[in-house]
Amino acid sequence: MTRVLVPVEVLEGESVSQGLISLLSPMDVTVLGYHVLPEQTPADQARLQYEDQATDALEDLEDAFRSAGGDADHRLVFTHDEEQTIDRVAAEVDARAIVLPGMTVAVDELLVSLSGDVAVERILAFVTDLVGDRDVDVTLFHAGKDASGAAERLESSAVDLRGHGISVRTETTVDSPLAALLGVVPAHDAVVMGEKAPSFRSLVFGDETDRVASASVGPVLVVRYDESLDGQLADRHDEQLEAEHDEQLEAEHDESVDERS
Amino acid sequence: MSEEPQGTNIEGDAPVAEDVVETDSATVTDDAELERTLGLSGGLAIGIGTMIGAGIFVFPGLAGAEVGTAASASFAVGGVIALLVALPTSELATAMPKSGGGYYFISRGLGTLPGTIVGLSLWLGLVFATAFYLVGLGFYALDALAVVGITIDASTDVVVAIIAVLAGIGFTVLNVTGTENAAKLQNGIVALLLSMLVAFLGFGMLDVLGVVGTEPTGGTEADRWAAVPIISTAALVFTSYLGFAQVATVAGEMKRPGRNLPLAMIGSVVIVTILYVVTIFVATSIFDTGQLESFGETAMVEVGRELLGAGGAFVIIVGGLLATMSSANASVLSTSRAIYGVSKDALLPRWASRINLKYGTPHAALGMAGGPIIVLAATGQVELLAEAASFLHLVMYGLMCVALLAIRRDEPEWYDPDFRVPGGPVIPVIGAVASFGLIGFMDEASIVVGSVVMLATAGWYFYYARDVKLKGVL
Repeated sequence: MTRVLVPVEVLEGESVSQGLISLLSPMDVTVLGYHVLPEQTPADQARLQYEDQATDALEDLEDAFRSAGGDADHRLVFTHDEEQTIDRVAAEVDARAIVLPGMTVAVDELLVSLSGDVAVERILAFVTDLVGDRDVDVTLFHAGKDASGAAERLESSAVDLRGHGISVRTETTVDSPLAALLGVVPAHDAVVMGEKAPSFRSLVFGDETDRVASASVGPVLVVRYDESLDGQLADRHDEQLEAEHDEQLEAEHDESVDERS
Repeated sequence: MSEEPQGTNIEGDAPVAEDVVETDSATVTDDAELERTLGLSGGLAIGIGTMIGAGIFVFPGLAGAEVGTAASASFAVGGVIALLVALPTSELATAMPKSGGGYYFISRGLGTLPGTIVGLSLWLGLVFATAFYLVGLGFYALDALAVVGITIDASTDVVVAIIAVLAGIGFTVLNVTGTENAAKLQNGIVALLLSMLVAFLGFGMLDVLGVVGTEPTGGTEADRWAAVPIISTAALVFTSYLGFAQVATVAGEMKRPGRNLPLAMIGSVVIVTILYVVTIFVATSIFDTGQLESFGETAMVEVGRELLGAGGAFVIIVGGLLATMSSANASVLSTSRAIYGVSKDALLPRWASRINLKYGTPHAALGMAGGPIIVLAATGQVELLAEAASFLHLVMYGLMCVALLAIRRDEPEWYDPDFRVPGGPVIPVIGAVASFGLIGFMDEASIVVGSVVMLATAGWYFYYARDVKLKGVL
């Protein structure tokens, strides 16, 4: 089954909403309780003082996820660097997605952003697993300059999802991806995004996800970059660059021809 | 993994112990993980950042005043001793990558009494060292005030002590209440200082060797190339080499400890030794002993002025402020970790390692560091503070070498260091002899102060924790 990682700052009073628990019911869940310490405080020292309290809270969350459906477990980490911790644990449990828990009562409208150079197949496979046969309306969203190519991509993606019995609509815009995404986020209950770079940090803790998370209020699910797709993505990117380069050369060639004539 | 520690202290608390698994990126206990977040550069920054404040910015004048250019040899001697100890420390640290550093190795290798003495002496040794850095900071702050045209109508010693005390209060409060991580800032400061020093010393060497610049205006008083004064100067300046043991106090937080701990400790000792020797050579080539004596703690400012004019003096003042601040701050952090290590083993009351609920910082340990630091800083006694700090550290260094020998003699099952000191017992034996031997060359007053502190810690053991057994326990 697909596993997702839900990082929660339990000792800061952060928790998981009922809507997210039911949204993730088809998934295996690892709840990552973490506590960020100032550098003056050795992690071990904080553990002695807070371990029991944090473990109690995490076991409650774990039980809630388990009774909703899938398998659930928890990890508790004391750290000085939350990015490093989330990154490490996500890799160790082989999580397909990292979930920034937001508040939601129930998820009826799911926004799936396919803007930019993200692994579309993997995001779609994740959405298929996530939605299953539940009554959730999915919006496939693309923003960026290449509107015609994007429309094609979204349409074939929509066909793919509809094949699994999911209700889908598509939306494209030529606005800049982040601004456009922030514009449509509030109308949905949860957001699925893809991780763009090999380094998970750039996305999950970059401006983009933070801003999406704060704009949406609801949960943001970030589909992780996958080692095995690493090559394919890079290749595709290279091909794209090459194609652009060729076009540019042709254009220059054309220009010079024009000048001569 | 190993037998449990036994016994309880006078309050009935037992040492906290459980099975843990150490990986390259975390310490995994039964219910939780502790992320290792310090990389090699972070480790080097702690080591170098703690050391250069003293060796570069405070001691050149004091050491040069004793023996002139021969002080270069004193610093080289200190560096060699530090290296002889850094190697065994690295082996112990890779076998036991835990917070607490030297205290941890000695309590496990030699037993609770030496462990308590070292654990508490490490705390107090760091307190002396921090007070020394703060007094150094006070001298630089005074020079800085003079540069901007503020002169204070009081004796130098009083003003320096007041500044040192205020800075001590400031650092303690900042560490208790500050939740912004200053680690990156510290790395930046160290990088800045290193590049500044390399440029400055490079120019200084060219000048001294007669490639550029003018004839030196220095005096002609002779250097004292003789073994005894060189070594007793080495004993005085050994405070410049305390930082590598601070790296061991954060061993539990280093990523890939098997690789990074030895590199950070040995690397920082080698780097600062080279810098020190060159600095002293330049400073003592420009000025003779008499001049250096009159310049005192901030002699480097005069070196900067001589080499590069007012700009040079300004650069050294800024560097001195940054370096002594980073030394003091890094030591305050190590001190609170040292206290935590001892308190976890029930050798100090458990409340000493409580964490403040509002700030998430170990306020009790920071207070136990800051309080005595402020008192000692008020004395303004640079040389006494430095030697007492060195004394307490040297005892720990010698005992760490002995602990290594003891652990190797009947190796426990869990003892599996990633780094082994080559040459069998040779290096730890020389390291122990050199560490204990250097103490003999210190001032009487420093030896008395150090001994009193150690006797007090031994007394504390017999009063508080004589039933706690830690030897051989991981």
